[in-house]
Amino acid sequence: MSAAEAAVAPLVRRRPPARVRRKRLLVAVANHSVLVAAALAFLLPFLFITLTALMSNEQALSNHLWPHPFAWHNFHDVFTMPGAHLLRWMANTFEYSVLATLGVVLSSVPVAYALSRLRWRGRDVAFMVVLIALMLPPQVTVVPLYVMWAKFHPFGFNFIGTLWPVIIPNWFGDAFSIFLLRQFFLTIPEEYMDAARVDGCGELRILVTVVSRLAKPAIAAVALFSFLYTFNDFFLPLLYSGESPHHWVLSIGLSEFRSLHQVQWNLTMAATLLVMAPVILLFFLAQRAFVEGVTLTGVKG
Amino acid sequence: MERRRARSRAAWRRRRLVLILMSPWLVGFSVFFGYPLVMSAYLSLNHYDLLSAPRWVGLANYRYLFSVDPQTWTAVRNTLWMIGVLVPLQVLSAFGLALMLARARAGVGIFRTIFYLPALAPPVAATLGFVFILNPATGPVNTILSHLGISGPLWFQDPSWSKPSLVMLGIWGVGNTMIIFLAAVLDVPRTLYESAQLDGAGPLQRMRYVTLPSISPVLLFAAVLGVIQGLQYFTQAYVAAGVAAGQASQAADVTAASLGYPLDSTLMYPVLLYQHGFTDFQMGYASAMAMFLFVVSFAVTLTIVLNSRRWVHEAGR
Amino acid sequence: MKRVAMAVALLAVALTAVGVASGAARHRSSPTKLTVWVGWSARELSAFKQLAAEYQKANPGVALNVVGSINDNKIVAAIRAGTAPDVVSSFNSYDVGIYCGTGGWIDLTSLMKGSGISTSMFPATTNYYTQYGGKKCALPLLADTYGLYYNKALFKKAGIAGPPKTIAQLTADAKKLTVRNPDGSLKQVGIDPFIGFYENVPERWILPWGGTYTDSKGKAHLASDSAWGKWLTWQKQLIDWYGYDNLVKFQAGLGDEFSASNAFEVGKVAMNLDGEWRVAFIKAEHPTLDYGTAPMPAANPSLYGSGYINGTIIGIPKNGKHTPQAWNFVKWVTTNTHALAEFSNAIKNVPSTTASTHSKELIPDAHFATFLKIFANPKSGTSPIMASGASYTNLVQNFVTKWQAGQVKNLPGGLSTLDKQLDAQVSQAKGGGVP
Repeated sequence: MSAAEAAVAPLVRRRPPARVRRKRLLVAVANHSVLVAAALAFLLPFLFITLTALMSNEQALSNHLWPHPFAWHNFHDVFTMPGAHLLRWMANTFEYSVLATLGVVLSSVPVAYALSRLRWRGRDVAFMVVLIALMLPPQVTVVPLYVMWAKFHPFGFNFIGTLWPVIIPNWFGDAFSIFLLRQFFLTIPEEYMDAARVDGCGELRILVTVVSRLAKPAIAAVALFSFLYTFNDFFLPLLYSGESPHHWVLSIGLSEFRSLHQVQWNLTMAATLLVMAPVILLFFLAQRAFVEGVTLTGVKG
Repeated sequence: MERRRARSRAAWRRRRLVLILMSPWLVGFSVFFGYPLVMSAYLSLNHYDLLSAPRWVGLANYRYLFSVDPQTWTAVRNTLWMIGVLVPLQVLSAFGLALMLARARAGVGIFRTIFYLPALAPPVAATLGFVFILNPATGPVNTILSHLGISGPLWFQDPSWSKPSLVMLGIWGVGNTMIIFLAAVLDVPRTLYESAQLDGAGPLQRMRYVTLPSISPVLLFAAVLGVIQGLQYFTQAYVAAGVAAGQASQAADVTAASLGYPLDSTLMYPVLLYQHGFTDFQMGYASAMAMFLFVVSFAVTLTIVLNSRRWVHEAGR
Repeated sequence: MKRVAMAVALLAVALTAVGVASGAARHRSSPTKLTVWVGWSARELSAFKQLAAEYQKANPGVALNVVGSINDNKIVAAIRAGTAPDVVSSFNSYDVGIYCGTGGWIDLTSLMKGSGISTSMFPATTNYYTQYGGKKCALPLLADTYGLYYNKALFKKAGIAGPPKTIAQLTADAKKLTVRNPDGSLKQVGIDPFIGFYENVPERWILPWGGTYTDSKGKAHLASDSAWGKWLTWQKQLIDWYGYDNLVKFQAGLGDEFSASNAFEVGKVAMNLDGEWRVAFIKAEHPTLDYGTAPMPAANPSLYGSGYINGTIIGIPKNGKHTPQAWNFVKWVTTNTHALAEFSNAIKNVPSTTASTHSKELIPDAHFATFLKIFANPKSGTSPIMASGASYTNLVQNFVTKWQAGQVKNLPGGLSTLDKQLDAQVSQAKGGGVP
């Protein structure tokens, strides 16, 4: 055999001895059993919540584990319970999430572009400021912001008691989305942009046509996370619409389900499942986008 | 001459472009961050309740915060406890689950979904579920434990168990971090493992010299994210305390006395800030609390930003 | 295209016609719309709405929009944000110090003088908790008194003749009426002294012991008032007899206070400190319950027969738009004897004017009569009204919950620290910073 042939000769994999094979099998089995145990532990809360959601009120208040009989009508009663306005809360939550997500995407993309693909004095300082704003707790600015919204009455409109103070800031850029998009934009090869410039495109057109299309996975991830975050948001809606039930979002409504005259745990658990449902459904429909998006944040972050 | 003017015109056009692109963030930052930060500092030196004009009190709020308010240091300790316990446990469990998933071959997709689902549950829903499940008298967990002959703890009703219960809730939702770890672990090139094995490295050594350094940026990212979230930890503590207090007293309207239930064990710093600012409407005092939080968070942020490159480089080699 | 244009034009004309018609209708009769916030909900809210309907019939120029389930948080938030309604009412008087002190609820003195209403029409205690700092910013709207509810059936089973009158009797009866499960957990509790349970708050329990919060100068004196030490020691001894963890576990399995599964109403708790409105709840939810009402047992025999008084207060937030009409409604609902008697019958609260307590319209009720007597007792008292509002009583409650959990080792030391904190809180609320 010549040196070249020897180099390309396939590597022959010998079967490892029985001892090693047995050890590998044991490790795999052990690994698998731990996985199964962990999976059961993770599923158990869902199971308990579901079982409780199907019980009658008395059974939920006792230590029965299994519903007798299955009260499927609970999922309907949740909507007709006096004081519970699940549909209105769902509408409010969707209004907030959709408007906020739209605002985040539309306002963060240009900023991320400017921070990544254009050279200008102060760019790195600006990025540092974005990072710092990202890491500071919202409680730091929450008091003066509240005062600002409380004292601002254009045409007699009251912002406190509505969700507008929570929605509007999202139209002015969101630090996390800017960060994510910038990291992604940095990875786009300059050739694409150069090709477009040669074709006579202005910078803005490049942004809208070329870059946005290339960055679709990142933009999708940003939109997804924005939607999820605003869907689950509790603190800011509590602050601004906490005292006006007409404008509650699902998270507040759910937490207040208990103090409306009477706690009905079976209905509360049923409502909990219903609140979890849209997000879980979204996950199953867009599984790949989810996982890719989460990976993007971690790997590029 | 023409070229110079053309170049300066081009530079001016670029600056205008940058301004246009950055404008949403510039406006947003000034109005929703910069200005409030300055106002926060100003309000912290005043007594302000939104009904009358701010009244100057100098450092009185800070004096009350640090030496008189009986709940300040409890809140600080609780927040530090949560960060110190929850973040490492979350990172460890996310990493552990990711390792097992990376090693397993059959049915990985199902397991991955099961571990990820709880992270999708809205925090309020998850908290409500946990408080109900862990009801010491009628909850399923204690019922099953009693069938096994174990007298279960009082969970959210016991000041020594309330924070651990919150930690359990936090670990349940570790799916996001797990996915990130999984991607990072799977990304480590096999050749590194093989060459380490050839050098005679056992599994533990392979972990220490190959896996950990390779995923160190992700480890750092998860830890940093955990710390940032810990400093803002509000929703779960607030909802759990309110619901658990409602269970014990069964009163229809839960007063501010329930924040931090039981016995201030779940009183986190952001929760105390919310109480002073938006239940008692002591806005000047709450601003002083906010400034303290700002100083601490800023110090943490600065440390991270200045050292991150060094930490990752050292480990990544 | 032409058809579409025609359709749009027709639609526009139709809409304009409707708009003009409704606009004309609106201009013809536009009653003043008043928004009234109250704390009641469900059955009690319907009763109040009936009252509002009666007022509207008599005053067609006013339309009342009643909103229920309001609590102090909502009121405070709305006033600060400038979104307060025309008339507002709260279930308790804790925040009167804030409302009057800051002007959040307007001073009614001149309005009262103009309408010929004087404070002598109201019992003394109700006057105390509707004013602060010389400003009368609220009027009482029916009052609440607290007493002892006891389950006669359980008493008969345990062989106890009548309700306890002294603390010693209370302790003995509570122990006799307690039933434990074979595993040591509690099945039935005689009385639950746990602060935080149902209506148990320090200010209601300290009254039978004769304790007060402040001295004549307004400084907190819990350390020097011996009643506090005596009550707290007794309370902790009883809790330790039950077993602290046992009691917490027992409470976690009880029904909601305002549901039909209320622990007293289903017989899980044999005696309970509760308000006079419970009579109406029992009638609606458990009409066959064999129970009795009595004043709370007292540490001092001369105090027996008195009780804790508080009540719903009603006022007008500042920056309101329709003050004269709002005042007319407030005046009617707080002083009209017929209105008060009717409302009192409906929700079984104590009428809040001296005249209405003697009204012939009041339906006599043996259980309810106890509370009317307690209300009239001169030794009955209420919570302190302080500039720090409810946070004053919350601070005391926080201390007591720590004490009953065994976290306070030195009671006198703890109480004097509490006194200092209460005083500091008041001066901070007044805007003076730390003394």
